[in-house]
Amino acid sequence: MIIKKPSIFIYTHQADPAVLKEVCAGIEEEGVFYDTAEFPDECMEKLAYKAARDSMLGSGIGIFGTAVCLKMRGLEKGRNIENYLAPNRTQCRNIGANSARAIKKLPFKEEYRL
Amino acid sequence: MSYIAGVDIGNSTTEVCVGEVTKNGNLTFLTSASCPTTGTKGTVENVHSVKNALKMAMSRIGRETSDLDLVRLNEAAPVIGDTAMETLTETVITDSSMIGHNPSTPAGVGQAVGEILLIENISRAVPGTPYILAASADHSYEEIAAVINQYGASPETVDTPDGGIDIVGIILQADEAVLVENRIHRKVPIIDEVRRIDRLQDGVPAAIEVALPGQTIRMLSNPYGIATLLGLSPEETRTVTPIAKSLIGKRSAVVLKTPGGNIHENVLPAGEIYFHGDKSLTINLDEGAEKIMDAMAQAGDIRDISGQPDTNVGNMLSRIRTGMSELDKSTEADIRITDILAVDTLAPVLISGALAGETCLEKAVGIAAMVKTQKLPMQEIADRLKHDLETEVKVAGVEAVMASLGALTTPGTKLPLAILDMGGGSTDAAVIFEDGHVNLTHQAGAGELVSMLIQTELGLSDRHIAEQIKKYPLAKVESLFHMRMENGQMTFVDESIDPRFFGRVVLLTEDGMIRIEEEIPMEKIVQVRRDAKRKVFVTNAFRALRKVAPEQNLRNISTVVLVGGSAEDFEIPEMLMEAFTDYRIVCGRGNIRGSEGPRNAVATGLVLSYLGERGGQS
Repeated sequence: MIIKKPSIFIYTHQADPAVLKEVCAGIEEEGVFYDTAEFPDECMEKLAYKAARDSMLGSGIGIFGTAVCLKMRGLEKGRNIENYLAPNRTQCRNIGANSARAIKKLPFKEEYRL
Repeated sequence: MSYIAGVDIGNSTTEVCVGEVTKNGNLTFLTSASCPTTGTKGTVENVHSVKNALKMAMSRIGRETSDLDLVRLNEAAPVIGDTAMETLTETVITDSSMIGHNPSTPAGVGQAVGEILLIENISRAVPGTPYILAASADHSYEEIAAVINQYGASPETVDTPDGGIDIVGIILQADEAVLVENRIHRKVPIIDEVRRIDRLQDGVPAAIEVALPGQTIRMLSNPYGIATLLGLSPEETRTVTPIAKSLIGKRSAVVLKTPGGNIHENVLPAGEIYFHGDKSLTINLDEGAEKIMDAMAQAGDIRDISGQPDTNVGNMLSRIRTGMSELDKSTEADIRITDILAVDTLAPVLISGALAGETCLEKAVGIAAMVKTQKLPMQEIADRLKHDLETEVKVAGVEAVMASLGALTTPGTKLPLAILDMGGGSTDAAVIFEDGHVNLTHQAGAGELVSMLIQTELGLSDRHIAEQIKKYPLAKVESLFHMRMENGQMTFVDESIDPRFFGRVVLLTEDGMIRIEEEIPMEKIVQVRRDAKRKVFVTNAFRALRKVAPEQNLRNISTVVLVGGSAEDFEIPEMLMEAFTDYRIVCGRGNIRGSEGPRNAVATGLVLSYLGERGGQS
């Protein structure tokens, strides 16, 4: 039996390192675990959809290049919690924090205060 | 056969009712409508809303307003109400001597004492002195952690002379407490999201505390705790008491020991109210609502009420007086404030000079006042309507009598009957006896005072959202697919809820959800809303009914019908019903004509009274 620890999944494809780092920092600040994995898919939404589906917590992030997308399990296609094509530093941090807040059932942050 | 319309112009809504009268005097009610009142009640601006409501009503039966044969206007009660809030205490910080707030993710636990050290000045630090490091958002979490690990002592070396500088706590401007904590070797309490970190001064002694998860701070919310940590004298301890008080319930806090810095709790000069009645009495507003209401009762029949000039209460009372004098421009106009309702409340007020947007609960008194004049210029409105609609328009009947007539159409009622008309600006009561004799009264304080209390107690930014909280039940969106109602019930939805509502408290309205921006627990909002309604409506219902009851005894009233906009509320009628059970009074929300609910009583009464008049003539 494979036991996975409860964590947010981040599925990436050729992810921009700066984007990935800030997203991870956002999750870490909220005190939730995360796992990253590389998938050959060129659609941020598909990556996020699969990540949310596979995550035990039901929260997943997809990153393709700089494009980043947050989804929760059960959310219909085309409806994302938050997504950016070329996010700045605070937007990356925000998406990470919100993926964790989705699990804690806290309201989403609209703007991360750095 | 003719079409007769009854029009009731209220403080906030204008209601119409249209009936058809046959030659032999049979009346059938056809339609009704309501729309918001334009302008102040009793002014010519009301014409727009009257025409609008009539058009709406007539279009429902496929007719034009020109088909109307007679429009009957109510002789509106010449009262208007207004509300004001007066804060009685204020808290002022001088020289920024504390920080106390609830960041969502502080890090570390416990308390520590040290000297404030700005990260830029880390080179001036000497080993052996405990420091609390402060870093602005210009420094990244990695940079801050690296500096601390480089200069700071590690857990093993802290007690050795050359072990590095002793950093016992950290204050951050950015939301990065956990990120920094995960990267430093020695665990210390860390507070983040301190917006005005630039006001922290280097070298000031300070105490820092972060509460255990799920708890609130213990040392810094206790005057003796602060005294212990900062080594204060008994006199100094006395002066920090307001600081401790304002930190109660916080999850993290910093108290600074600035020599000149202090926090004051001032009692504001609130002003006096003068009652001119059978007896003339003066009462200071800071005595509280109960004393004010007692004084008013002692003054007997009130002729007029005024306030001390150049105080909030004085200005408010003179403002509504001027408002009324604009309505009644006749020189002999006799405008008097005849009633007030005072309610005690607490208002969260932003502390001036705060570093992280802290608020403090201050004592306040909310007041609703009511002005009375001889007569409103209803005839002017009637003339204007007559000209615009080209039909007969007549001012007919006293409002309270018409309301009683309308209320009598509620199934299960009989004379003698008491009505309680709870509107936006005033609460009116009337008792109509078998012989047609009517007792009536108008009291200050109704829906608008409730909105104001909700707004101040919850610290809401605008009145509109407070009105919505008053009207609609609450729910908490717990996931994208379900929410929990305020009564504990769960509701599931097919299509995912908009993420903007996730984790928030929302209001369930007819046209979807409204989000409450402030992070206030649902239970707190429910409690404040209910208390506000109870404080205003239950108090006023007793006050008003006692005035109109035979021998001023509530037991002489057997049936009470609740009418008016606030009777439509989802919980006020139940509250009143509970309050009246002791007096064996049958009390409930009216159902005008068995179909209209508590609205439209006056408009219906106006149409009904036409029959009576016609009967008298023939």
